[in-house]
Amino acid sequence: MDDDRLERLLRGYRLPDVSPDLDDRVLSGGVAIMTRARTRATVQDVGWALLHQLGFGYLAWFVDLVTSADAEYRVVFL
Amino acid sequence: MIRGESGAFADLYRKYRARLHQYALSLIRSRTEAEDVVHDVFLGLAKQTSAGRSPREPSAYLYVSIRNRCLDRMRRRPELPLDDLDLDLVVAAPGDEERIELRRLLNRALLALPAEQREAVVLRTWHDLEFAAIAAMQGTSINTALARYQYGLSKLRKELGVHGR
Repeated sequence: MDDDRLERLLRGYRLPDVSPDLDDRVLSGGVAIMTRARTRATVQDVGWALLHQLGFGYLAWFVDLVTSADAEYRVVFL
Repeated sequence: MIRGESGAFADLYRKYRARLHQYALSLIRSRTEAEDVVHDVFLGLAKQTSAGRSPREPSAYLYVSIRNRCLDRMRRRPELPLDDLDLDLVVAAPGDEERIELRRLLNRALLALPAEQREAVVLRTWHDLEFAAIAAMQGTSINTALARYQYGLSKLRKELGVHGR
């Protein structure tokens, strides 16, 4: 059997089928992950839009105030 | 893939599932573990895509991930003896008498090849990968990948030649 004939013979074989169980596991798992991500992104977008409508500027000011002000710590000996 | 696009994910899975499953099977030589690897790789891809980190070349990402996960599993368990394996890396179409007759012999000969040679033969013959891509995956030179393919073919020819018409 020469090289060409062997390669032709090999290429004529098909790949084994994938089990339907694997299809189900991958597709349902993948779709669930992506749906969760989409929901999370939507909730986040809505949340920011809502905050903006309700006064995002005030919130930003408040966050800035909390993070930039020096905290005062005091140890009380009992 | 666009972030969160489950249709594109399903299309990508359907396009590559048979090839990646066979590739995993050829590396790890266990049907259950090959399916688990394919499952884990695609769910890993779904997570990355959902986080906005889609790979630029999904096919390269999938092949490399399959290889890495298989090698990782193989390091953690002893290799199964050839006699215990009952796997088909390739199947013959119904009515193709010549290939049906040689199928069992070919599968056994493929599974008996050294791992790197088997990988080169599988990727070149049934996945149409260039030798440069095979070399990159195996972390070797193109010449070495080519030699592994040729050695592999030569061993298959010996096994099948006796029986081939």
